[in-house]
Amino acid sequence: MATTTATITLSSSDLLSDELALSTTATLTEAGNSTGVTAAIGLSRVTISDTSETTLFDASAYTDDKAHKIYIKNTSTTATQYLLIKVGGAELGRLYAGDFLFAPWSADTTSTDSDVTATPSASGMTIEYMAFID
Amino acid sequence: MATTTAAITLTSDLLSDNISVSASSTLMKAGTTADGLDQIEYGYIDLPTGDEYDLLATTPTAGKASKLYLKNHSTDETLFISVTQNAQAIGKLYAGDWMFIPADFHDAAADIAITANGGTNQFCYAIFHEGTALATT
Repeated sequence: MATTTATITLSSSDLLSDELALSTTATLTEAGNSTGVTAAIGLSRVTISDTSETTLFDASAYTDDKAHKIYIKNTSTTATQYLLIKVGGAELGRLYAGDFLFAPWSADTTSTDSDVTATPSASGMTIEYMAFID
Repeated sequence: MATTTAAITLTSDLLSDNISVSASSTLMKAGTTADGLDQIEYGYIDLPTGDEYDLLATTPTAGKASKLYLKNHSTDETLFISVTQNAQAIGKLYAGDWMFIPADFHDAAADIAITANGGTNQFCYAIFHEGTALATT
């Protein structure tokens, strides 16, 4: 069985009076069991020439209601440039220059397809993204 | 200014070539490299099955660079929390899973809602933000 892990470390010495030092690792498994995920898409890299909304993950192409995970990074180095990330048309948030996200994704198609899209704030921005598939 | 760093490493032996993806980001306020996110809300919740927990009582200013970290601390692999925003399904965090996302909270309906499934789930969260003023809707 393949082993896939995701580790995050959050640290700060001056956000709080006490030092923030959080690190955790998750082994990515199928929904409801301990079998590792069996597929991956990417790592992909795309430059969007304009500021149009672009679909990174199309829910209809994946099995609904699973334990998929997605990773998206804004590779820009210009502080004011961001990617507006939406899931199923709902605005999740902005990834500013250098920011990344890692999230579960159910690929839900029950009512609205939970497609994951990115809308760049400027033309010519580059996105890296990948998915681990249940 | 506060300096907070988020670093991620993804590894896998799924492919013929090993996957090893790393990224690190300093959590800055929106649109600047001069000032870091300087406020945090942190919690640990026991959530009985079927109950929903709304992550925010107050709403960070819309259009900013707020970040949300969320981890399911349950150890039973069949337990999970469903994560939705404004009734839109995002995904499910099974036991031990975590997520780190930008969180816009652009209006009062855009809070992140957590629902426990399969039994009582324990989860922790941290929201890094730059203000709690409610958005004008």
